[in-house]
Amino acid sequence: MPAPDQQQRLAALRETIADIERKPALAEAQVTAEQQDGAFPALAGGMLQEMFTDERRNAGALLGFALAQAKGLLTLQRRAVIYLQLGDEAQKLGLPYGPGLLSFGFDPDALVLVRAANMAELLWAAEEAIACRAVAAVVADIGSHSKLLDFTASRRLSLRSAATGGSIFLLRYGQGRAASAAHLRWRLSPAQSTRRRHDARAPGPLRWRVELEKGGLIKNAIKNQTEFLLGWTEDGFATFAAQRRHADRRSGSTPLPRAVPAALADGLPQTA
Amino acid sequence: MLFLPHWPTDYLKRRDGGLKAPLVLYEVIKGGLRLAAVDAEAAGRGLSVGQNLADARAMVPELTVREMDRPLLEAAFADFADWHSNASPLVAAMNDVSGFGDLVLDITGVAHLFGGERPMLRLLLTRLRDLGYTVAGAIAPTIGAAWGVSHFARSQVVEMAELETVLDALPVHALRLAPAQIAGLSQMGLKTIGQLRPRERKPLQARFGASLLARLDQAYGMIEERMTPRLPPAELYAERRFADPIGLMDDVLMTCHDLAIQLAIRLEAEGQGGQAFHLFLYRVDHKVMALSVNSARLTRDPEHITKLFANRSERLEGDYDAGFGIDMIRLAASSVSELDAVQLGAFSHQGVAEDLDQLNDRMSSRLGTMAVLKTQLVASHIPERAARLVPALVANNADRAGWPIPVRPLRLLPVPELVAINAEVPEGLPASMIWRRESYKIEKASGPERLGAEWWRSGQRLQLVPPEEKPEKGEKPPHIPNLALFDPAAGTRDYYVVEDESGRRFWIFRQGFYTAENPPPWYLHGFFP
Repeated sequence: MPAPDQQQRLAALRETIADIERKPALAEAQVTAEQQDGAFPALAGGMLQEMFTDERRNAGALLGFALAQAKGLLTLQRRAVIYLQLGDEAQKLGLPYGPGLLSFGFDPDALVLVRAANMAELLWAAEEAIACRAVAAVVADIGSHSKLLDFTASRRLSLRSAATGGSIFLLRYGQGRAASAAHLRWRLSPAQSTRRRHDARAPGPLRWRVELEKGGLIKNAIKNQTEFLLGWTEDGFATFAAQRRHADRRSGSTPLPRAVPAALADGLPQTA
Repeated sequence: MLFLPHWPTDYLKRRDGGLKAPLVLYEVIKGGLRLAAVDAEAAGRGLSVGQNLADARAMVPELTVREMDRPLLEAAFADFADWHSNASPLVAAMNDVSGFGDLVLDITGVAHLFGGERPMLRLLLTRLRDLGYTVAGAIAPTIGAAWGVSHFARSQVVEMAELETVLDALPVHALRLAPAQIAGLSQMGLKTIGQLRPRERKPLQARFGASLLARLDQAYGMIEERMTPRLPPAELYAERRFADPIGLMDDVLMTCHDLAIQLAIRLEAEGQGGQAFHLFLYRVDHKVMALSVNSARLTRDPEHITKLFANRSERLEGDYDAGFGIDMIRLAASSVSELDAVQLGAFSHQGVAEDLDQLNDRMSSRLGTMAVLKTQLVASHIPERAARLVPALVANNADRAGWPIPVRPLRLLPVPELVAINAEVPEGLPASMIWRRESYKIEKASGPERLGAEWWRSGQRLQLVPPEEKPEKGEKPPHIPNLALFDPAAGTRDYYVVEDESGRRFWIFRQGFYTAENPPPWYLHGFFP
């Protein structure tokens, strides 16, 4: 007959185990997001998302996609986004640039850049940052492959982010896919921009083609839509029908990424 | 004042038990091998510092001789001095007379911890003698008097009242004078300080210089003499001594947590918080390890402080060496100022900024301050000058309201990369680009956006030249004969936003203008989303 305090401890331990078992397995965690008319859904926090692009030269578009999602997660309670990069990859991928963030519509004060010396420190910083309840999202920009970033590491990260409600975006490059515990996996490629008003030769509002490779995204999806053609405005994503790849080029009414300076005259190149 | 006349030899004997007793150290002085340090036994047999090595060998045939390693001894003596801060926080190694051997401890307000000045002196002396050091010590109201008494009298405590009597009896050597001054004084027949003191000051100054009078006044306390403590004096600290030395980092961190709680209670009682915290680990073998962490805002939260030290300790994993153990740990707070107690409201957003600052602290303590950065916007139109990365703890972008928002790329390369550009016509839009050995067909382009050089800066700084190799030690940096005059054409850049056929968008620029001879270079500077 165990002593009463031992019984209490046993009961407490059983409760703990039951608590662990009750937690949903990671990939099966239901991601619910509202979707209307095939538009890109507003995704909630607390997810580990992998974002792949085929080549490092698409780094700008990939960061844009991550920051666009992160911007939607910023609130008064969660007012920072932590960007992580290995110190020696700045010249390969480029560093987030303050004035560029402003013109993208993201407040540079909300972005903390962490330049880790190696992958172990980067993963440590990611876990430390996501544990903070004032962080909306962690953007980890990983330009090279590392053995440390394996299934276990991603599982840890996804558990953490599910527990605290902040999101982690892993920016990855290349075509190889390793097993991971990410809730969602995207593949992004830039698409040709649309026509700019009064200057057909200039790049117009941006377009990204994103493809959902993994994860049940939306409950009531129309035909299980997994491909989106996205634009970006200050208010959020603008979705275009993916099959009409070149249709919107003809229609002049496309959302602009931000207020444009007054057009000079038709045909003149704008020195913006 | 502690005086260790044979410190270098005593130290080496402790380090290496095999060294036999009459030990001398020599070094090259004035072109000859001369003794630089002798131990007690060698001194007893008539050897002295400055003697010729050959003479010394002749006088004492069984002499052990080693060459003097000054850098090693200096570092060791510094550690030795630091270790004495377990007696008093203000310790200085005095080296205006000889390189090693003189330790100054300011024991104002400390002696009562050891049961008074006499027991304290006895404790300090016996503990060093037990370790095998020859040591003499004195406690006196002035540094000069303590130096003189420790060198030329028995170890004792000199009270203010008896200062003059004690000093008057000492020889003039006790005044820390130059050898020439001492020789001059003995020529005059002035053997003791007591004979020197009543003399007219003006002739003395004329003959021996102002330094003699200054030393005299310092000894008697007429003018103040300051010491420069080796470790920063801490305003508030908590410490713990161990009966048995400890070694594991985990134990150190646990103690650190206890000390942080003690410190927090004291800080709270005084309504204060600290921004910098230092952990001193006193090893039994006379070394002190110091760890420091900084906090973004004033704090006294023991959990936070412990966390910072835990992170900091992970960074030095390899360097941590407890030696034979740590027998005292001190946690000190500096940069202390007023911090009132606050109560957090359940619905306020105040805690959010604090959480973020604490996160930045934690990351900085582990990764280094220069690894956790924020963007500081600068009023400049040169793209790489318009944003600086500064430690997240100091960033401040309060006054940039109303600045224009130009079209800028989301990512910028720290160093622009050279690209090859083909344009249909020289001043026209680029048509194709080769970058990192890949060619791009440019479908759309807009520009140019012309950015002139800042004429108020030297033209030299804006040129995009690869950083030159650093000159080797001793080599002089290359001499730039004449800085070129400011040339607006050379520093001007024309920026273009270009998009290739699959929608990637780059920011490229041309440095300078087209001229008849050379096409200007093109660079890639950033990536648009």
